[in-house]
Amino acid sequence: MDELIRKAEAVSGPKASSRLKSRIFSKLVELEQAEGPLRILSGSRNAGEQLCIFEHAVALLPSDGLQSKNPCAVCHARVLGESVENAPIFWPGCAYSRYCGH
Amino acid sequence: MALAAAILARDRKATARLVELHSDVVHRYVWRRLTPKVAMVDDIVQDVFVAAWRSLKSYAGQAPLETWILGIARNKVEDHYRRTLSQPLAELESAAKEVPAVELGMEDHLDGERQAARAAQVLAELPYEYAIALRWRYWEGRSARDVAAASGRTEKAVERLLARARARFKEYWLRLEPAEGRE
Repeated sequence: MDELIRKAEAVSGPKASSRLKSRIFSKLVELEQAEGPLRILSGSRNAGEQLCIFEHAVALLPSDGLQSKNPCAVCHARVLGESVENAPIFWPGCAYSRYCGH
Repeated sequence: MALAAAILARDRKATARLVELHSDVVHRYVWRRLTPKVAMVDDIVQDVFVAAWRSLKSYAGQAPLETWILGIARNKVEDHYRRTLSQPLAELESAAKEVPAVELGMEDHLDGERQAARAAQVLAELPYEYAIALRWRYWEGRSARDVAAASGRTEKAVERLLARARARFKEYWLRLEPAEGRE
């Protein structure tokens, strides 16, 4: 019987929902911001990360202060991603869009 | 290590990748261990990522990042088990007295995959404290002494709990058998 109980561990469970992924990401970025300025977006881009269209615009700004802000905080994609499963977000480079499988 | 270093540099895009790469595995891990009380799974998974982020400086890269995060998930799940089994189990134990002593053999014709699925179903249907006791003992490999120390119960009490849980498991397993035999 012990072996049977152990076998049950192999049964797979469901993947994380896109809403949960969105909420976790938002929470972690909030914590990062509380600790200090975020890495500037042009720095992320230069490190090979993909930016969304809004972040590309912000990355053009000469001010590091502005570039280290979090535009996702005021973006409809975040609100949709956190509240609607597989929300219709189709911005390339947007984390919330990727969590929704787009 | 590159991903961890980028997150420590507060690179939000790296943080997004951390969630994308590892949240499904962590979710499956926690879900399996809390079923059927899955309403708590999302909160625990989020706690795992917050804890991982807070302690990322201590990640030395000796194990893959996912293994390291699953270690944190395991601690969070065991915290949940500890809280649950620290509660009084009086009602559960009086109900357990009704369990008949089933001594039938459990070896059967099912292949490994079906056995695993049925065992998972039985665990999901057991009283939650029994399922937790069995998972803690057999999945996490904790001894009755470890479980007792963590939950504030005596070792004897944990052994009794495990014995009742095993009896219930056997009873539920055998209850499922006729339905499967008709297939």
